[in-house]
Amino acid sequence: MRRFQFSVFKINESGVSVKKYILNRILISIATLLAILLVLFILMQLMPGSPFNDEKLDDEQRAVLYEKYGLDDPVIVQFGRYVWNMIRGDLGVSYNISRNTPITQLIQNRLPISLAIGGYAVLLGAVVGLILGIISALMRGTFVDSLCTIISVIGIAVPSYVFALALSYYFGFKLQWFPMLYDSSQAFNSSVMPAISLGMFTMASIARFTRSEMLEVLDSEYILLAESKGISGASLIFRHALRNTLIPIITVLAPLIVDLMTGSLVVEKIFSIPGVGSLLVTAIQSNDYNVIIALSFIYSAMYIGIMLVVDILYGIIDPRIRLAKDGGK
Amino acid sequence: MKAMKRLLAAVLAVAMVFAFAACGGGNNSNDGGTTSDNTTTGSKVLNVMIEIEVATLDPQIATDGTSFEVIANFTDGLMQMDENGVPVEAIAESYEISDDQMTYTFHLREDAVWSNGTPVTADDFIFGWQRAVDPAVASEYSYLFSDIGQIKNAAEIIAGEKDVTELGVSAPDDHTLVVELNVPVSYFLSLMYFPTFYPVNREFYESTGGEGKYATSADTLLSNGAFVMESYEPAAMNFSLVKNPDYYDADKVQLEGLNYQVIKDSQQALMSYQNGTLDVVKLSGDQVEQVQDDPEFSVHGAGYLWYLTMNVHDVPELANLNLRMAFTHAVDREAIVKNVVKDGSLATYTAVPPQFATSPVDGSDFAADQEMFSEYCSYDLEKATEYFEAAKAELGKDTFEFDLICEDQTETQRVATVIKEQLEQALPGVTMNIVVETKKQRLDDIQSGNYEVCLTRWGPDYADPMTYLGMWITDNNNNYGRWSNAEYDQIIADCTTGQYVSDAAARWEALYDAEEIIMREAVIVPVYTKADACMIKSNVDGIEFHPIALNRVYKNATKG
Repeated sequence: MRRFQFSVFKINESGVSVKKYILNRILISIATLLAILLVLFILMQLMPGSPFNDEKLDDEQRAVLYEKYGLDDPVIVQFGRYVWNMIRGDLGVSYNISRNTPITQLIQNRLPISLAIGGYAVLLGAVVGLILGIISALMRGTFVDSLCTIISVIGIAVPSYVFALALSYYFGFKLQWFPMLYDSSQAFNSSVMPAISLGMFTMASIARFTRSEMLEVLDSEYILLAESKGISGASLIFRHALRNTLIPIITVLAPLIVDLMTGSLVVEKIFSIPGVGSLLVTAIQSNDYNVIIALSFIYSAMYIGIMLVVDILYGIIDPRIRLAKDGGK
Repeated sequence: MKAMKRLLAAVLAVAMVFAFAACGGGNNSNDGGTTSDNTTTGSKVLNVMIEIEVATLDPQIATDGTSFEVIANFTDGLMQMDENGVPVEAIAESYEISDDQMTYTFHLREDAVWSNGTPVTADDFIFGWQRAVDPAVASEYSYLFSDIGQIKNAAEIIAGEKDVTELGVSAPDDHTLVVELNVPVSYFLSLMYFPTFYPVNREFYESTGGEGKYATSADTLLSNGAFVMESYEPAAMNFSLVKNPDYYDADKVQLEGLNYQVIKDSQQALMSYQNGTLDVVKLSGDQVEQVQDDPEFSVHGAGYLWYLTMNVHDVPELANLNLRMAFTHAVDREAIVKNVVKDGSLATYTAVPPQFATSPVDGSDFAADQEMFSEYCSYDLEKATEYFEAAKAELGKDTFEFDLICEDQTETQRVATVIKEQLEQALPGVTMNIVVETKKQRLDDIQSGNYEVCLTRWGPDYADPMTYLGMWITDNNNNYGRWSNAEYDQIIADCTTGQYVSDAAARWEALYDAEEIIMREAVIVPVYTKADACMIKSNVDGIEFHPIALNRVYKNATKG
């Protein structure tokens, strides 16, 4: 109890440096996002084709459309205008997918659906992965361990769309437990199969990682000390071993969330999910610049946001990380 | 205690993820997310699959078949298509054509109303048509008013030389619409069912906030057709329409509604059909084998002609007629449709594909006779060899290597691979390198003349062979290989604005003359005319399929 109070005191004492650290991280994140936006703009220019090279359009009509949407301006002008409009909450209009529709309107109802399914997938992947990893570690070398390893290998090796099609066939079509196509009147039921397909990779990665971390912890000297002090069973596992295993797992979980986003591009298409993943695929195929930029930007922002949160949480909770970054000031 | 803090960090991080998810769930349940909360159910509601989201419900902005089909469900134009694709009266109760065939007077029915209760008037057509030619709207199909429809002043307005109010269309009274043309246009009535010519209520359009707002939800669009949009949002994956009780022809509409579902994965589509979720689905070629003996299986012409375009202008070898002739005789089109495409598509030996253009004289299909040009185009390996030998002698070389560009779609890639094999086998010394590109890049390359051979397609825009033949005139944007022939240009000019415009029979014959030149010169290698393989439940009847304008019409469909 005394030691705990001591820790709290230390965090308060270094409050200024926490603030500075957080501010610093946020500024870096914003700069990164702007750089990403500029790169996206340059990539759009390098992309082959144009939003308006349908075979039915002639050069004059194309020129009219370019002028209408300001695509005939220099890239830097387009970029400046885009950033200015973005600050005011205007992400431009769609050129092809839904003509002349503001991007904000296009994604406002779609983003929550993708986030929800992604969230379920992370939850599922993390919880099941942890359980599998712990069981494997505790039962190292047994049949159960091998089974868990096999499941992990399958989860990592098999792409999410294969799971999606297989689940859809058995649990959607044959058994009819879940809807094969997304139905917003039963949003949760509709999310089960997509979330499982998406969460498999996360689950497998977490399971493998937990297993190796757990083994390392179980072999460590402080566990041996704890054991020698007579602590054993559930108490040893949950109070001592598992806690120390969890922190590194958070580090791998963050980048896995990004895998979920890219995986969702295909899975959303299969289940006809009205999310942003399927929208991005269509946008790329049809050179719908504003949709591509807006969604890529949102994905980047989410990724950077998640990394930022993890960093900050680390900084607050584990002073060693913050102190190291502050150079021991 | 450190472990405790670490655990806390972990829990917080996971909680963040959930916070995201929870927000999502919340919003979703509030606004219904998409539309299936409002999904219409009932025994007479038809559940239809589409492969792609609706691009727009604005009739003057739409350019794709899916958007056209949906717009036509809730909007009637002056004319509509009957089951054979012949234009019949819709909002126009009757019409008169002047003796010089240059003035059309449409009398609008008085019982046609918009779904907000306002009557459909001639001004609604004028407003819609003026939008179509307005440079500020930048409608991609504006050329239907100028080059194709030849409506007075349309070309000048599109070019920005005249004001939209000068368009050759006027309303002597609320229910009369007078259209003036530059020259007689034999197929003018069949343009009237094309959605670009649909009416838009001026007052309502402005009340929604105009461009970017109009027709983006059920509340921002009006119906004057068989169905009313019940729920819709831009790029929706599903949406529904219900029968319009105020439709002037409501007695004939048997369906209570339509549910549309976007499905991009063909396996999911077929399973959704088999478990009863959907009544109408489109199949991929591979699926046809599984179901082709099923009585619910059917094939419908889609109108698209797939053909090889060759860069005649920039590639000296392809400028050689004998080499092009060798190509066109070496392609086994029957094998391609039977073994590769497998969905009922037709092997095609004419520059104008079958099934969409019927004679003004006897109603026969322009391209019914696929052997008409067998002298110039057939699968004949002996002839192919003969032409190839002649080409080799003329060009003074024995080996030829070309890049064959095709799109990144599975079917197209397979067809291109088979064409490559057929050409290489029939003409030893020819090597075709397949280059797979996205559609946008492919178009970029062929439109700028940066290609050798390309497998490409063209869908008809209106029910006249000119929608294909018009492409090969000198300097046309779609004449990718920049082939040029003065005689050909003259025939097309005579049929468009010249001596044949008021003589439909003579024009029809002249169009065959033009087509013969294309075949004789092997300007293109026609390959196949695309069909759609569908499954339709046995209790569903009366869906009308058309290869042009409105691919599927449900007004007369029944389910029960």
